[in-house]
Amino acid sequence: MNIIIVGFFRFILFVFLQIFIFNQIELGFGIHLLMCPLYVFLLPFEINLFVSMALAFGMGAIVDVFSNTYGLHASSLLLMAYLRPIIFKFFSPREEYDPLKTPTYYDMGHLWFFSAFGALLLIHNSWFFILEAFSFTSFLYTLQKIILSFLIIYLFSLLIQVFFFRRSKK
Amino acid sequence: MQQLIAFFKRFRVFLVFISLQVAAISTYVQYLSFPQSQYLTSASYFGGKSFALRYGIMKHFELENTNEKLQLENVALRKKTINNLYQINRHLFKVSDTTYAQQYDFISCFITNSNTGKLNNYFTIDGGELQGIKRGMGVFSQKGVVGVIHNTSEHYSVVKSVLTQNINIDVLILPINLYGFLKWDGKDPRRCSITGITNDVKIKKGSKVVTKGGSGVFPKGLLVGYVEKLRPVEGKPLWDVVVRFSEDYRRLDRVYVIKNLFIEEQHDLEKKIPNNAKEPSL
Repeated sequence: MNIIIVGFFRFILFVFLQIFIFNQIELGFGIHLLMCPLYVFLLPFEINLFVSMALAFGMGAIVDVFSNTYGLHASSLLLMAYLRPIIFKFFSPREEYDPLKTPTYYDMGHLWFFSAFGALLLIHNSWFFILEAFSFTSFLYTLQKIILSFLIIYLFSLLIQVFFFRRSKK
Repeated sequence: MQQLIAFFKRFRVFLVFISLQVAAISTYVQYLSFPQSQYLTSASYFGGKSFALRYGIMKHFELENTNEKLQLENVALRKKTINNLYQINRHLFKVSDTTYAQQYDFISCFITNSNTGKLNNYFTIDGGELQGIKRGMGVFSQKGVVGVIHNTSEHYSVVKSVLTQNINIDVLILPINLYGFLKWDGKDPRRCSITGITNDVKIKKGSKVVTKGGSGVFPKGLLVGYVEKLRPVEGKPLWDVVVRFSEDYRRLDRVYVIKNLFIEEQHDLEKKIPNNAKEPSL
């Protein structure tokens, strides 16, 4: 029960922050601060795939309405939610995932977080920016957007966890 | 039948994923090819309301800047009023003006939400159908053009800004009256380019670029920016004219919506052209 309430508030908080703060920060060089991938990534390990896809799609659709992007966020977040269990299986530790732990940098270690979140974020960013450009004519600029945004979003994801998350009790 | 059910059971996750993905991408592609979709934008009631709330808080940080700009504009306008003009020819009186009729009316609005870093940037403003704003009207600020109204709701509207890829405003490069289309490449919110100019003309750096005013959306002579440099287009006898905007869209706050009082007359007249009309024989 507790986890549902926390998840619900986190959903509202991430949508709110994305629309009113991260969408308004413009760093130039084609950098977009897309923090919704962090929400999708931080969903619990044991979550039903349908639930996580519905959450990702819903979050993307709400952000789309507020930033006039018509399905761009929804599509890329949905892809990320779908690929999440596959990536998790790929990077799974020797013993199975502990259901008491959460997929944060504290619980799983930096190396695991970098590889799993990094891979998913790279897929998400590539999908997002290639779909946004909708052509390969200025591919170098799209590539620059993907990589620079990746670095900044990754940095922000670490900072958010350092400030607002704690190691879960065992 | 059982095999079919088994198939659906096995691939249900993938099927849900594909159907949602198709829904998302089809709305996006539909929007790309028909950018007139009227739903799911920040002009909707809830979106507009929440951005207006945010603007209510944020506008106080810009007050000083805005006041300064308004004061400058007041000075410029005050210079033009009759009381402050020296009458050179004392024999003429202005009784009632029949040579001029008001063609353009302006509605003042605030920007409640804006982006400049995306590939297509839209601004939300706090005026809507109640103020008489309609789709297709032009929007400008004190320093230059801003865009065209994209869609409207009762209280809010979304402006398709000049920082979108297919905006195509017709502009003039001033001292030589050269005509071209404004394009934005999606990278730098301070610069845009003009296409369709052959490389046999000489254009001075720093020459003024203004709106042409042919389609009735913008009045003639509204400032857009200044020519910064000329780049040759590879393989074509054309210039790519780089223009620096006179307005900084990242700090835009107040705008005016242009209401052309004669637009219906113009459209009615233009509708009467038959589709496959030949040139009138002289």
